[in-house]
Amino acid sequence: MNTQLLPSPGTGTPMRPAHGPAPVREAGRFASQHRRRLLRADVLTVTAWSSLAAAVALWLADGGLTAASSPAGMITALGIVAGLAGMDLVLLMLLLAARIPFIDGAVGHDRALEFHRKLGKPSLYLLLAHGLLIAVGYGMAEGLDPVSEAVALWVLIPDMWLAFISLALFIAVVVTSLVAVRRRFPYEFWYAVHLLTYGAVLTSLPHQFSVGGLFAVGTWQRWYWLGICIATGAALLYYRVIQPVRATFRHQLTVERVTSVAPGVVNIEMSGLQVGSLAGNGGRFFIWRFLAPGLWWHTHPFSLSAEPVRKGPDGHGRLRITVRDLGRGSAQLLRLRRGTKVAVEGPYGLFSSAARSRDRVVMIGAGIGITPFRALLETTPFAPGQATVLLRGHSNQELYLGEEILELCRQRGATLFHLTGGRDPASPDSWLPASEHRAGYALADYVPEIAHADVYVCGPSRWAGNVLNAARASGVKEGQLHHERFDW
Amino acid sequence: MQQTSETPHRLRARTFTCMGTVISLTVPTDAHKAPQAAADELEAATAVVERLFTDLDSIFSLYRPDSEASRLVRDELALPEASAEMRARYEEAAEWRLLTEGAFTAERPDGALDLSGIVKGHAIREAGMSLLALGMANWCLNAGGDVLVSGSPNPGTDVPWRAGIVDPADRRTLLAGFPLGGAALGSPPQSLSPSGPAPLGEMTADGGTRAALATSGSAERGDHIWSVTAGAAEFRQVSVAAADVVMADVLATAIVAGGVPMLNRATAMWDIEALAVRANGELLATGGFRR
Amino acid sequence: MRIRAAVSAALASAGILLVGWQSGVHGADTRSAIAAAATGNQASGTGTTGSSGAASSESAASSATTGGSGTTGNSGATGASGAAGAAAKAGGTYDGDVVQTRFGTVQVQITVKAGQVTDVTALKLTDAEGRSVQISNYAAPVLRDEVLQAQSADVQTVGGATVTSDAYLTSLQAALDAANL
Repeated sequence: MNTQLLPSPGTGTPMRPAHGPAPVREAGRFASQHRRRLLRADVLTVTAWSSLAAAVALWLADGGLTAASSPAGMITALGIVAGLAGMDLVLLMLLLAARIPFIDGAVGHDRALEFHRKLGKPSLYLLLAHGLLIAVGYGMAEGLDPVSEAVALWVLIPDMWLAFISLALFIAVVVTSLVAVRRRFPYEFWYAVHLLTYGAVLTSLPHQFSVGGLFAVGTWQRWYWLGICIATGAALLYYRVIQPVRATFRHQLTVERVTSVAPGVVNIEMSGLQVGSLAGNGGRFFIWRFLAPGLWWHTHPFSLSAEPVRKGPDGHGRLRITVRDLGRGSAQLLRLRRGTKVAVEGPYGLFSSAARSRDRVVMIGAGIGITPFRALLETTPFAPGQATVLLRGHSNQELYLGEEILELCRQRGATLFHLTGGRDPASPDSWLPASEHRAGYALADYVPEIAHADVYVCGPSRWAGNVLNAARASGVKEGQLHHERFDW
Repeated sequence: MQQTSETPHRLRARTFTCMGTVISLTVPTDAHKAPQAAADELEAATAVVERLFTDLDSIFSLYRPDSEASRLVRDELALPEASAEMRARYEEAAEWRLLTEGAFTAERPDGALDLSGIVKGHAIREAGMSLLALGMANWCLNAGGDVLVSGSPNPGTDVPWRAGIVDPADRRTLLAGFPLGGAALGSPPQSLSPSGPAPLGEMTADGGTRAALATSGSAERGDHIWSVTAGAAEFRQVSVAAADVVMADVLATAIVAGGVPMLNRATAMWDIEALAVRANGELLATGGFRR
Repeated sequence: MRIRAAVSAALASAGILLVGWQSGVHGADTRSAIAAAATGNQASGTGTTGSSGAASSESAASSATTGGSGTTGNSGATGASGAAGAAAKAGGTYDGDVVQTRFGTVQVQITVKAGQVTDVTALKLTDAEGRSVQISNYAAPVLRDEVLQAQSADVQTVGGATVTSDAYLTSLQAALDAANL
């Protein structure tokens, strides 16, 4: 039998852990939380578009249209607008990747990075157009061909050689990250290439303020542009450098022990200070860095697989992540030594109660993607009978932490299904094991009220895509779907 | 430019070669003096000026291996041990370097000290003082294109000397003219050392009040001027008219090296007129150079 | 909800663009009004010399230079091409914006004649002590026939970049000296 049904306990005997989550106080609590979150997302959308409009408005306010009266002027004007819009998109990209809590809480880390990726090509095209159109436009005004004009710009105008280098770096970054995504280069390679972005942005800045007539000394345009550049830089510095360093020093995490869960899967238990402040994040992920030779430069995004346990009065305690050998980086984690210091940043993502929009909740995990549900199940509020957990794996052995989740479901009154067995090779669109698929089961058969529930999905991306499609087919709206990528 | 009706005074000129160039001294012949006396006076004055130039050249020439300047460059002599003349010019050059924010410098790119940028102007200035000391009120001294005048070509009037400026594109034609001197110079040029910022806004576009005109270019001695900004020289030739010939010479050199920013700084800070020829032949001029 | 975001973003963007456009048009109108008042000529499509060209008193002259000579390509690019375009149609004087420079507060006035910037004057300038002074000593772009003319026949001396003794032999100064021997 590969389907296991755990009936929910009767409503008369609610079973809750002693330090469990707060009970659901009023109906519709999640609905208003959801509305607030959508409002934040909308505010972000409007802000992003407005910033783009403002970049063009800067040029309009400077009387840009009147300059575009000749063909050369028109081309130059287009070039200037392309440059402004391109730089604005680059700043937006940097902000989306800055792990700013407001953005993370509104759309989640995944979607922020998805937008980040989507902006990559448009911003590159705009910056390329900027360089080309300016060279052509200026060249026409001076009677030079674009190449000679570009050479003249490089040679004669201060800071322009930096701008050329910047453009080359931008091209390098976008091309390598497109290739890296396609060829599945190691995450660290892709990460190193992205560091070049900072070089590209920094080398592009001098010419904007020294050559750009729009941003001449004393104009309000200069202050606005300086403001958004500095704000972006400050956000990056604070959230990507200062905060992680502070968190690492604050928690002083060290590896306590590494235990095997299944072949190639280990629990890494760490102890540290003030672990309480890391609690309550459900399945949100942290970025871990194990400070051991050969390992320290790898970063690992993993959720906690169990809520932190406090042991001492000073907040001293223990926490745990569960890791499967997914790539070279995580393979080495299986041999971590006790006492290894750990740098931590986070939590990031929306895989937590913060994403809830309904009172019912459904969690569907596969393989190592099951582990974040352990912590989410422990904390997210629901009344007994209002939660359903579906765990998918090739075998029972692959239902990592299955025992612990079973125990939690018992305590909190959640319905649990184990779905084990191989895929049906004939139907690659199915998320179910072959036997269930052939028996004609669908998502709604496991969770009849799924259209009125939040659906959390975590697992390999192909499988997760199938689940999301199945959920949509069952009437689940986009706002109720919460998905965490688990393969880097 | 003001047209003079007729020149009743014939001009007489004497030349000599020094500092790698030709120095011309031109004076109006005095109708009330015997021709021979006037000629003798010019010969004597030329001899004084030539002596002065030659003495300075023997100290500062880098083309003479035995000069003090050459010994300094070869490190056979340290600046503190150098002659008072050498140290005074070094000090003056250093002051100008500060005032022009480095656009004028007495150091070659290889670090060697080269005071030739200031020595010619200094020689002209000293020669001018000598001529005044000899009691000569009207003369025009031209050293390789840098000009200092006193008085008028028509003694007794305030008709200025008319100087032409060579077109760098065609050295046989004149690009522009400029009136020099004219008003009687009762005293020698006031500022013998860099005078710092002149008062702003002094209107001197009427001409005739400036005694010195110096021109620097990147045309003939291309490596004479070291550009402080990267890239090719922005100006092919820069002429500066000022009361003091060293100031005119230094600022012309500095503007060729420092481009438009230095031109704007110079016109704002010092009481000068400037005419600059861009590399493409276009002109920039202050009011005094315009019709 | 997505619709709400799209509509608000579109409205906000349109509003921002409109404000930018209006302030750009308004600025141009003010400038063309000044130009028309100054000359009585028809001044259609004035340049943006003011805001971008009058960055500082120093760069004002250099961008004006750029505009007059037609060599665009530096900080005055937008303004300069605008000025050149406008200048071709109308002559007159153009007032720049009042800007802060390291010399104090300054407003630059540019005079255009027959499509060429002929003069750059600082209209208003307050120095560090707060006194108002006027600077007219800027080097502005000029045409060849606008500088003081001279014929070799009516000058008494010739200035030029350092003439070597070899070059002297064929120089105008040598001819003058020879004539006066």
